[in-house]
Amino acid sequence: MNSIVNGMVNGRPVPPSRVRGRVLAAVALLLLAGLTAWSAAGIGVTLEVFLNASRIGRLVEESFPPAWNFWPRLVKPLLETVQIAILGTLFGGIAALPLAVLAARTVSPSRPLYWLSRNVMNVLRTMPDLFWAMLFASAVGFGPFAGSLALTVFTVAVVSKLTSESAESIDLKLTEAVRASGGNWLETVWFSVLPQVLPQYVSYVLYAFELNVRASTVLGLVGAGGIGMVLNTQRTTFQYARVTMIVLFIFAVVLAIEQLSAAARRRLV
Amino acid sequence: MTAEGSPAGSPAIRFDGTSVVYPNGVKGLDAVDLEVPRGELVVVVGLSGAGKSTLLRAVNGLVRITGGDVVVDGRSVRASHGAGLRDLRASVGMIFQDYRLVRRLSVLQNVLVGRVARVPTWRQLAGLWPKEDVALALDSLDRVGLADRAYVKAGQLSGGQQQRVGIARALAQKPAVILADEPVASLDPVTSRQVMDDLQRINRDLGITTLVNLHFLDLAKEYAERIIGLSQGRVVFDGAGAGVTADDFAEIYGRHPTAEDVLEAQVAL
Repeated sequence: MNSIVNGMVNGRPVPPSRVRGRVLAAVALLLLAGLTAWSAAGIGVTLEVFLNASRIGRLVEESFPPAWNFWPRLVKPLLETVQIAILGTLFGGIAALPLAVLAARTVSPSRPLYWLSRNVMNVLRTMPDLFWAMLFASAVGFGPFAGSLALTVFTVAVVSKLTSESAESIDLKLTEAVRASGGNWLETVWFSVLPQVLPQYVSYVLYAFELNVRASTVLGLVGAGGIGMVLNTQRTTFQYARVTMIVLFIFAVVLAIEQLSAAARRRLV
Repeated sequence: MTAEGSPAGSPAIRFDGTSVVYPNGVKGLDAVDLEVPRGELVVVVGLSGAGKSTLLRAVNGLVRITGGDVVVDGRSVRASHGAGLRDLRASVGMIFQDYRLVRRLSVLQNVLVGRVARVPTWRQLAGLWPKEDVALALDSLDRVGLADRAYVKAGQLSGGQQQRVGIARALAQKPAVILADEPVASLDPVTSRQVMDDLQRINRDLGITTLVNLHFLDLAKEYAERIIGLSQGRVVFDGAGAGVTADDFAEIYGRHPTAEDVLEAQVAL
């Protein structure tokens, strides 16, 4: 005999109906399948292309083993890639600091300046780095310099945003102490804001450097010099064994830089 | 070391019907009339929220005076803005309950912050402090017995030592007035006495007018030439430190003193 008291059957709670949840899940799955089909049709992906494995097989066959003896010709371009990243990080890192301070609400000297720097920051961040590369390429010509200028803007965008958020969360009591001594705005920032955000700021610059080494490779593909350019040349001439070698080389260097930088950042914060 | 540019005759501080209403509507000070003669050591007592902090911050313009005025060293706080206000603040040293030192900077650099208003900004940013300012900072450290810690990071000092660095920073301003906002509230009884001894000695040796907020009644009685009692933003007691009775305190606090109101509970009032 079932005894029903307060919605409980034999003193146990009745599980809620699962019909509703199942219907919702089915609708979501159908929606996802529909979106996939729509996108695949839009860009011309058919089942046939997917199953056409012979080309992939040939590609893999041609790509291995890597052309090991190609590495001496990679050292210089790869150094150039890293140099592009270093310059972009340094210029951008330096420019980001004042912008970050002006764009930190609690620290900024005036409303209009705060508003202006906020918007500059947002515009910089919205534009992809490839756009800046194109822009600077038209200004100073294709090459490594255009690449570092593009990365400068990218670094400003990343570092200023993160640093301004750090600056907004500092302890303002120290700021009051410097003002109480008669300090002006710049002196107050110098002695109370900067000492508090400096470790995080340096950490963000290092992080931007990691991103820049990767971005610098991609910029090379569109003519900004460095290893990306070599990669593009070898790819368009179907030297797949060399392409593999280049990719391995990039992988090793990017990984090494990331590890070093991450270790440095761990010690900072 | 003597106070810079103090016209003789007039009181060091004059509260002239001073009122402070905070933007959120809270009344900090309610038409306070008060004169502090040069060289006097005044202790301000009252419950938290009575307006002690506001009274001190009205002297160097850290809070906005909304009614009446405060005249420091012959200069109106309310009429001072920009460079004039910074100049006024430079002649008023301030000491905080939580020390407010830049922990990652050296003790000497922290004391040099007391010179911000007197040294060109570019020199501070470049770290090129004039010799006489460094000498003055070291002198100030010597006055609190910490000259040997000049090159240690401020964050490595004990609480009592940090507070004495705070005193040295105020001294480096060559102030006409020192404001100490609950300077011993974060310290143990022994260290509290050392810090109060420092403040008293500096007051006597250099003749610097000193305004100290204290919570502890026994310390107030021991060190004050004059005690001012605040309640709800008004002066409810004004008399010589030595003559204060338990009944006077009861009037200021609205209740009789308890063990929490004395630094050392065994010291009878």
